[in-house]
Amino acid sequence: MLVAVDLKVTNLQRKRRLKKHNYQHQPDYPDLPSVKPRNSTLQALTSAALVLPGLLMSSGHAAGPDRINFQYSRYQEGERNLYGVPQSLKPITADVLHGSGIFSITDRTRFTFSYTQDTWSGATPVTTAPLAANSNNPVSRNTDSGSVIVGASPFINSKFLLLDHDLNPIGKDPITRESTGAIDTRSVLVMSSASPETRNQANFGLSREWNEATFNIGGGFSSERDYQSTFGNIGGRVDFNQKLTSLKYGAGYTDSQIGAILDHDASPYITKNAFAGHIEERGGSEILKGKRHDWVGNLGITQVLNKNALLDANFSYTHSSGYLENPYKVMTVIFVDPAELNNNRNTLITGDVRALLEQRPDSRNQFAFNAKYIQYINALNAALHLGYRVSADDWGINTHTFDASWVQPLGGGWMLTPRIRYYSQDSASFYRPYLFSMQSYSKQEIDSLGRQIWFNEKNPTIQYFGSDQFNLVDQNGNPVDPFSANPVPKTIAYDAGKLPENFSSDHRLAGFGALSGGVTLSKLIGRGIALEAGFEYYTRASSMQIGGGNSSFADFDYYVANAALKFDMEPSNPPLAGGRSSHHHDSSSHHHKLPPAGIMFGHMLDKPGDFMAGYRYMHNWTNGSMMHGDHQISDQTIVAQGCSDAAPCRFTPTFMNMSMHMLDLMYAPTKWLNVMLMPTFMTMDMNLRELTGRPSSTTETHEHSGIAGHETGAVGDTYLSSLVRLLDIPGHRMHINLGLSAPTGKVDIKLRRVFRIDGGLIHFGMQQGSGTWDFMPSLTYAGEYNRWSWGAQFGGIKRLESQNKSGYRLGDTIQATSWVGFDINRWLTASVRGAYTWQDAIHRDFNQFNARIGPMDFPSNYGGQFWDVGFGLNAAVPRGRFAGNRLGFEWIQPVSNDFNGFQLDRKGALAATWSYQF
Amino acid sequence: MIPFIRTFFFRKTALMFLIFGVTLTGCVHVAPWERGNLAKSQMEIDPFPLQSEIQAHNYSSREAAPSHKSSSGGGGCGCY
Repeated sequence: MLVAVDLKVTNLQRKRRLKKHNYQHQPDYPDLPSVKPRNSTLQALTSAALVLPGLLMSSGHAAGPDRINFQYSRYQEGERNLYGVPQSLKPITADVLHGSGIFSITDRTRFTFSYTQDTWSGATPVTTAPLAANSNNPVSRNTDSGSVIVGASPFINSKFLLLDHDLNPIGKDPITRESTGAIDTRSVLVMSSASPETRNQANFGLSREWNEATFNIGGGFSSERDYQSTFGNIGGRVDFNQKLTSLKYGAGYTDSQIGAILDHDASPYITKNAFAGHIEERGGSEILKGKRHDWVGNLGITQVLNKNALLDANFSYTHSSGYLENPYKVMTVIFVDPAELNNNRNTLITGDVRALLEQRPDSRNQFAFNAKYIQYINALNAALHLGYRVSADDWGINTHTFDASWVQPLGGGWMLTPRIRYYSQDSASFYRPYLFSMQSYSKQEIDSLGRQIWFNEKNPTIQYFGSDQFNLVDQNGNPVDPFSANPVPKTIAYDAGKLPENFSSDHRLAGFGALSGGVTLSKLIGRGIALEAGFEYYTRASSMQIGGGNSSFADFDYYVANAALKFDMEPSNPPLAGGRSSHHHDSSSHHHKLPPAGIMFGHMLDKPGDFMAGYRYMHNWTNGSMMHGDHQISDQTIVAQGCSDAAPCRFTPTFMNMSMHMLDLMYAPTKWLNVMLMPTFMTMDMNLRELTGRPSSTTETHEHSGIAGHETGAVGDTYLSSLVRLLDIPGHRMHINLGLSAPTGKVDIKLRRVFRIDGGLIHFGMQQGSGTWDFMPSLTYAGEYNRWSWGAQFGGIKRLESQNKSGYRLGDTIQATSWVGFDINRWLTASVRGAYTWQDAIHRDFNQFNARIGPMDFPSNYGGQFWDVGFGLNAAVPRGRFAGNRLGFEWIQPVSNDFNGFQLDRKGALAATWSYQF
Repeated sequence: MIPFIRTFFFRKTALMFLIFGVTLTGCVHVAPWERGNLAKSQMEIDPFPLQSEIQAHNYSSREAAPSHKSSSGGGGCGCY
């Protein structure tokens, strides 16, 4: 909690530590009882470990060995209740990739980092409205069997809401929109969908340990298209009373810049008066700008109660100021003309339904106190964790959280942890599902004589007066000619002073309760590798609020599944002065040279039982000119030839970047066979521009509007591979790789619906995988002599299915490459590589709607022949704290291209690898 | 002082917390060789920090309580 690091000490590390300290460092602790009865040997060992700094409070602190963690998690929300309107919009999903590490710089100083990337998409509520307002407007499509309702579109302005004199809405059928004649007070969330968006966050930290204290300092940034944060924090711990008591402290500051691109389609229907000074116009998009500052401080205590129980308690204070609104949430305000209220009680009133950007207070002070009690259960070797948290803020939101978990070791390195949590919050004082305002949204201005004011449309400074467009006078009282005067009513907006100062219909500020439960399973595989998997189901309901609530419209549920891999990089023995460390790392300098970083499946592990974990990152840039074959091409040619005769191109990409994160897990069951598992995570980012000379738009076509591009990011395909050694003589090695790619990446990612027109499937190149099972064989030869090394690889990809679930298949690929390396010194190798790649165009086509707006939507505009040169550097750390780590970088520079069809120019690729052999 | 703090838990709980803490520190004694159980991984305050991070992120994007991880910063907009 105090440090931005996700590290802990596991059983295995503890055991190692115990051993190590017993055999090597015990003399350092002469105060320990040196003679104990035999049956308490373990206790003596344990206690020896316990007086080491930071062991007891290792959680969240920089203790234990150096470590690398990888985690993937998926958040999936359930559908919201739209009272029968079909939901074609998928509920929110978020894919989160996380990597973190901790490295010792000195005995007591550690460096930590973490990187998190999340991509989310799906339908999210923009406001709440009376169900009778039909705000989730059914969208119908003509099909062979007639008109069918396929989904709903947000409809945030309406002049058709009927109310009785007590302002109760008169119901309408959500689908047919026919009046039911009866009062219907139900509310409904108004849903809007979002194309995928990606956020990146990086944290860095330094920590220092003393015998009875730690101090850490950290910081980082979080970046997404509409929200940038930078943050810094300090924290630490001081131990007292022979480490039975620890005081913890921390403070942090976050500075955030909001630059929200307002929804191009919804914006004309949103009233933004209150934020007019914050909105900038750029490239046809409206950008709502804001700044936000968050200060946080906390103070805590951890107290050992007895040999089987401890208590942890923390108090925290958060002060936030600035733009605290959510820029995408609006408040439904129903304007009612007071004159209508004077009518006969039996006549219905018409409500003018409008959407106003939400207005929250400019500051917020939050206080939270949490306590956790942990009890060891001797009989089961388990631990019971009980937690309670209470918070209050000056927005009127008080919360209570209760949670309990049971941490049960099962033997064999397994640990099972069921968990349950209950949460309840009060609503914010300014939360309302929707508001009424007893005034007209806009009305014609009246002068001091009670006359209606008009103005000349062509010259707004000229005003006219009168009740009738054809019977107006000018300011001197002279009649005007209605045809030459161009009179337009001069309107004034509603009086903002009659609205509450703050209002929000964000259901997260409503009162509700939530119950969640889940289970975590972890397993130590040995050799410092641990696996962790978790699942949690969460359900929110207004009725579960403490004290009870009765508005179920915002109830929903979600689940989260996650899997993590953790690697300890503890040297078998700490490096001794002047001497070599363990045999394990001693051998690292004798490892065979690794091929350049851009080569996959390029080396094998030598000894049976060896295990290697690695991370591979590739970033690929395409931008600049559009190419056809080997030459640049004009917009006119793309419009005419890049798409189809029926639908000429209207847009073309300006850039497209692709990055791939890959986990390399490699194991050698025998000397002749290695197996590999490589999960991948892909992110893509692109933008478009309009082609010069494009055909004009029609109402039924998808248009790319505004300045925002598209992003996708999620799990990509997973590679499974067997490497078989064919030749291994001094100086020469050869192996064959028989790889399979499993279609775990999505190929049906869609763009959001815009103006009731479906976005359809996103471009081929923005989908996350191939969608087919693919065979990926390769043959690799590598040689070395003195400081020189060289090699060659011949490989390819053969798609094993004729089409994926979206109807197409990617082209097959063949690649041949060869390299030469030279050892600059004992640990650094430079390499030069040439590569030739042939890639076939995409076969078949989308079997679902795709907007076909540019060359990237046509299968023939993919693939080609490419000649590249790679410049690489490989480093293998021979000794010291980082012994055994290997790093590689390679820049791949395109030299010559022969593109199929019309494609963006290739600008190069970066490959980076890290690996560690256990 | 902001009124709601006074009326809410602050006074009582904080006072109890302080008294509790001070009392405990004085009288508890657990010898180093009696701390074997406390050192077990299941007794860690946060046995699964990687998961807690995700849970905290999800809760804070769906609930109005201050984030557990707030002092480390980040987390982004959570605008969805």
